[in-house]
Amino acid sequence: MSEFIVKHKKFLILFILFMILFWLITFQVKAGRFTFMEKPVLAVSGFFERVITSPFRFAESAAKGYIFLIHTQRENGRLKEETAQLKLENSITNELIIENERLRELLGFRKLHPPTSVMAQVIAKESSPSSRTVTINKGADDGIQKDMAVIAPTGIVGRVQAVLSGTAKVILLTDPGSTLAVRVQRNREEGLLEGKIITCALKYVSYYADIQEGDLLVTSGLDGIYPKGLPVATVTKVTRHEASAFQTVVAEPAVRLSRLEEALVLLK
Amino acid sequence: MKPRIYFIILLLIIPVQASLLSRLSLAGIKPDFALAVIYIIGLLTGPGEAALAGIGIGLVQDIGSASFIGLNGFTLGMVGLFAGIFGRRVLDISSPSNLILLAAFSLAEGLFIALFMQVIYGSVPIFSMFFTSMLPQALYTGVLGILLLRFIGSRNVLSTLKRHALQKEL
Repeated sequence: MSEFIVKHKKFLILFILFMILFWLITFQVKAGRFTFMEKPVLAVSGFFERVITSPFRFAESAAKGYIFLIHTQRENGRLKEETAQLKLENSITNELIIENERLRELLGFRKLHPPTSVMAQVIAKESSPSSRTVTINKGADDGIQKDMAVIAPTGIVGRVQAVLSGTAKVILLTDPGSTLAVRVQRNREEGLLEGKIITCALKYVSYYADIQEGDLLVTSGLDGIYPKGLPVATVTKVTRHEASAFQTVVAEPAVRLSRLEEALVLLK
Repeated sequence: MKPRIYFIILLLIIPVQASLLSRLSLAGIKPDFALAVIYIIGLLTGPGEAALAGIGIGLVQDIGSASFIGLNGFTLGMVGLFAGIFGRRVLDISSPSNLILLAAFSLAEGLFIALFMQVIYGSVPIFSMFFTSMLPQALYTGVLGILLLRFIGSRNVLSTLKRHALQKEL
């Protein structure tokens, strides 16, 4: 017996290590993910990520500043047209906001304050195949805190998971650990959207709920993280099983997360 | 391999994977640098050392991401173990079959993680993930691995490593 142990000592140690890892995983499935050592690893990786991306960012800004100058005049004309259109839309929106505020006051509702935001650049994307996270170049120094909402012009990106002084880790909508309260824009049906690595799935949707392909899911604001009414995802597949009380709803994020370069962090 | 080489790998694995290789992504697909590195360690050192390196690198990845601590440690440890076993018996670093084997390891890792997620969370689109994400990433990882192996072969790194191993044995 002892001869066997001595002979296969290396593999026995490895076997024990694998068993410990397996136990760790199953423990976290029940108790939730451990977050120890997260900040030191983010500090080290964040530093090197900044160093690695800085030449790329410099080259990109140089290219944008000089090489693409040729297209500036044409783009300027297009932007002027767009600005005029947006000004018109903005004045209509302002009117609606004022009207909405007046009506809310009449009804005795709490006044709405538009959130302030910080623009951040994505300096690194996920390093692990089992999760979906990005690192941004803004952190606690810019007022960013844990669990703040991160958005892009087309919709929700995710929420801040860990913060250091100059960087922050953002957990994306498609990460399996991400959940957010949403509602169907068309009929206000509510659900919980969970990340599924490349897509998302709506959980706990009743078999009888009216959800169709192409429906837009917006934030419901019930989770206390994301402001109400922001686009989140579009329903791409609805499956009803006779044996289940719930239906399976698959949704595609409104933001193309694989091509994300900049994002806005909504400050509380 | 020397501990300082492992230290450098542990220090740089996340930044290189997350920052540098993101720039090389094609249609959102990027190679799995950590897996390629573990595979090469397996070929160069053996199953025991490669499995330990895989567990270490995987744990660093787990802590630096949002996944369960131990999941990547487990999968990369297994990759290191099997790459080490194959490296001893059938493969050498100049063999073109490394591309296929590395792609197979990447696919196996991707499938394992997807099945794990399916068991834990349910409704993971494994079929569509296989064709849109896992398979292209596996091939891309295979190509990256071959390039890394060529680099190692051309810079006499291999002979240095062999010399160190011989010195150790003596």
